[in-house]
Amino acid sequence: MVHYIGLILDDIRLEQIKGTGLEDKLNTLFGGQIKQLVIEVPEEVSKKILAEFPNARIDSRSFLEDLPVAFKRALFKEVVDKKSLGVEVVDAVFGKIDEIKELAAKESEYIPPPDIDTSEI
Amino acid sequence: MALLKTPPPHGGNLVDRVVRNPDRAKKMADGCVTFDIKPTMLDGVPIRNVYREIMSICYGFFSPVDGSMVRNEVEKVLEERRLLSEWVFPYPLVFDISEEDYKNLGVGEGDRLLLKLKGQPFAVLDIDEVYKIDPVDIATRTFGTPERNPEVVKVPFDKKHPGYMIYRSMHPVILAGKYTIINEPKFREPFDKFWFPPAKCREVFKEKGWRTAIAHQTRNVPHVGHEALMKNAAYTGDVEPCRGILVNAIIGAKRRGDYPDEAILEGHSAVNRFGYIKPERHMVTFTLWDMRYGNPIESLLHGIIRQNMGCTHHMFGRDHAAVGEYYDMYATQILWTKGIPSFGFEAPPNEVDYGLKIIPQNMAEFWYCPKCQEMVYSETCGHVDMKQKLSGSFIRGMVAEGIFPPNIIMRPEVYKAIVKWWKVYGYPFVNPKYLEEKDKNLEVDLPPMEISKA
Repeated sequence: MVHYIGLILDDIRLEQIKGTGLEDKLNTLFGGQIKQLVIEVPEEVSKKILAEFPNARIDSRSFLEDLPVAFKRALFKEVVDKKSLGVEVVDAVFGKIDEIKELAAKESEYIPPPDIDTSEI
Repeated sequence: MALLKTPPPHGGNLVDRVVRNPDRAKKMADGCVTFDIKPTMLDGVPIRNVYREIMSICYGFFSPVDGSMVRNEVEKVLEERRLLSEWVFPYPLVFDISEEDYKNLGVGEGDRLLLKLKGQPFAVLDIDEVYKIDPVDIATRTFGTPERNPEVVKVPFDKKHPGYMIYRSMHPVILAGKYTIINEPKFREPFDKFWFPPAKCREVFKEKGWRTAIAHQTRNVPHVGHEALMKNAAYTGDVEPCRGILVNAIIGAKRRGDYPDEAILEGHSAVNRFGYIKPERHMVTFTLWDMRYGNPIESLLHGIIRQNMGCTHHMFGRDHAAVGEYYDMYATQILWTKGIPSFGFEAPPNEVDYGLKIIPQNMAEFWYCPKCQEMVYSETCGHVDMKQKLSGSFIRGMVAEGIFPPNIIMRPEVYKAIVKWWKVYGYPFVNPKYLEEKDKNLEVDLPPMEISKA
């Protein structure tokens, strides 16, 4: 069974993929309000990912979710560098798995909050 | 068609076991042996605090239950999901202590035990019976097995199931008897804004003119799919849609990755404060309970709580109060549609003797349809192959990456409620620091109270 990893693109990331050809592979969701790149992940690879990150899970859409931010950032970097959505980008991320796990471990303690005004709440 | 009206409390009367007169409270506790309430622990993490059960019992959320159950009542609940009074009730509720604590306390039947919380007197337990349990047996029978409950239990419960582990982790000695709160806890912010025990909640319904109200169970920050569910489910009613939508969050032990309780409550509140559902029609409340994730079994408790709060209807979704794949994903809807005989229900719980009066509203899913360009009900929209599901974990990923969710997924004010508490805890979700603070602070503070020693 194939699983998927979705990389959501904000304006900064959209700028980074300009000219890579990946623009043509963008999926839009929710009336165009979300743009994402989708990477297909064979089951044996998703099992490897789930084994490395115990909080990760496969949701009802067969997407791997609750992945560490560090993992997704590294994955996006590989996507841009290799101009590809193939499984080789996941393999490249696995090449740095120890470094990513170290960063992910810190994420469970602290993630800087966005700088937005919440005084109305 | 007869107009519906607010149902009676489950069992006929709301339990109110809170002594509000300080002199009387002091007299009740003077000279008692004392015991400091301890959380139920699993691998060093608190997974339950019995104070939440005592609160929910004494303030009437679990009416007609009025204390820690005697052995025969636990057996009857496990075998038939009925109390000794015959009223339907799903879970054994007991006050458990270790053999060592029992020995040190030196109390027995007929004694009154003063329970302290956060170092202050909190409640008394009038002991009617002392007995022992086998926690594994209680845990197994509480949730069912594929052999005994083949209609809905798919695989045996194990250490990955948080509710099963709550029962498995209990101490073996049970002190059974009625609880009475003698020192009312004060809720911390923001819990104080959402504390509506059943008697108070029924008063508010009356003031608001909510003859009918539908309950929405939550342990999550609301996304627009939840909002669509609430709005649409509320179209049920009698000659008109339900007048009220009661959000009732279950507040208790948390799991890593959950949203903080404070964000859940203020996130739901933002839905009405900012007009997505007008406040005249929408109200946010909570119940203290360390969720057992018992899917159909849990839905019975939810029905009882919300009926006691005054609701006429209750929405039940797929995988209601579920974790993992232990139960059939439609187990709750099966229970409320035709019953589950092996759990003691030959008919739905609102059609059996001594059953509930609340009316179930089984709901399917809401998702975004790009063709209709709106959130749609899965059983209505014909563009199923185009569906775009709103998954909680998808949104969690977006939040963690610091991406402001678009309005069609999550209302900006709801997201801001998440960020508000993210700033407090340094993290958008429950993490070890949150768990540590939650265990230390709980949801309440207790006023100082002097009691004469034994």
